[in-house]
Amino acid sequence: MAVPPTCHDMGTMVTMSENRRAEGQLDESPWDKASGAFTAWRAGDATAVDDLVATMTPVLWHVVRAYGHDREAAGDVIQATWLGFVRLHQTIEDPQAVASWLITSARRGAAAHARTARRADPVEDEVLAAVLPDDVSAETVAVLDDEAARLWGAVAKVDERCRKLLRVIAFMDRPDYQSLSQDLDMPVGSIGPTRARCLAKVRTALAEGGQR
Amino acid sequence: MTTDDDTRLLDDLRDMWWRADPPPPALASAMVATVAAADLDDEWELLVLVSDSADGPVAQVRGLSSSRVLYFNAESGWSLEAEIDGDEVRGQLLDLDGDPGSVVVGLETRDGTSWTTELDEVGFFSMRAAAAGGVRFTVRIGRKVATSGWLDV
Repeated sequence: MAVPPTCHDMGTMVTMSENRRAEGQLDESPWDKASGAFTAWRAGDATAVDDLVATMTPVLWHVVRAYGHDREAAGDVIQATWLGFVRLHQTIEDPQAVASWLITSARRGAAAHARTARRADPVEDEVLAAVLPDDVSAETVAVLDDEAARLWGAVAKVDERCRKLLRVIAFMDRPDYQSLSQDLDMPVGSIGPTRARCLAKVRTALAEGGQR
Repeated sequence: MTTDDDTRLLDDLRDMWWRADPPPPALASAMVATVAAADLDDEWELLVLVSDSADGPVAQVRGLSSSRVLYFNAESGWSLEAEIDGDEVRGQLLDLDGDPGSVVVGLETRDGTSWTTELDEVGFFSMRAAAAGGVRFTVRIGRKVATSGWLDV
């Protein structure tokens, strides 16, 4: 359903993120919820780990999907991430860092899975990369409001590397550029400027589409 | 464009991805089941420090002893007593319901250095370890792991 952009008086555009906050959807970030659940679990609340898993699984989904994996492969990578958490969670020293730990683990799993897939079927992988991110169904895009649909269209026009970088960073709490540089094969000093350039490309694509 | 503009656009992109490509509805509950099936609670437990000689009256008397005696309880009923004396670390596991031969005691420092040793047949251990700064104990019993918090020595 297309929803017209909300306007303040004097015609000032309200962004999607402001709309979400106004609706109370971002009162507590998933990263904060994750650290709260992890802390509670470590303090003896056995069910809090369920909250941690339920909160972070959707975040991990987006991080893994940024690498271009299909839905089944993304599920496999996320499951491997949680099994790694079961084995290694005692090494997470700072409960505040649990979301970053999980995201880093998921990114590395996604990158490793992509390397394996490339070795197994390089042609198919190139074809897959060429069509990203259009593997989401037309029906899905149809339910987005105008603003989100325009963003979706703009992101589809930028290069794959930018799409991947922006989607990963968008779902990180405090982007760890050091580990990102290793995973994305970029010099650490270039990630900030690259992010800015990628966002500029999105803006250009939006402007060509008549928005922003 | 300002940093705020970039942050706002990134927020909007995140919102767009949340809605455009949501995970399958059953994924989160499947992952909850995966973690539960992995017997998370049985795999790991905290070693709770219940006694530390550094906190006792003996610690007030400098020079009386160079060693530090620590006593930890595990939720499953056994206890770890450890003495750090220079680069010698020794101790014992008490009230262990199982085979001492399946136990590995480890000590690690914050910089990632670690030492491990096995128990003897009556539950004692001894190892040389340059334990300085932040350290923690890990006791592995078969597939189960018990870990203490970090403490300064």
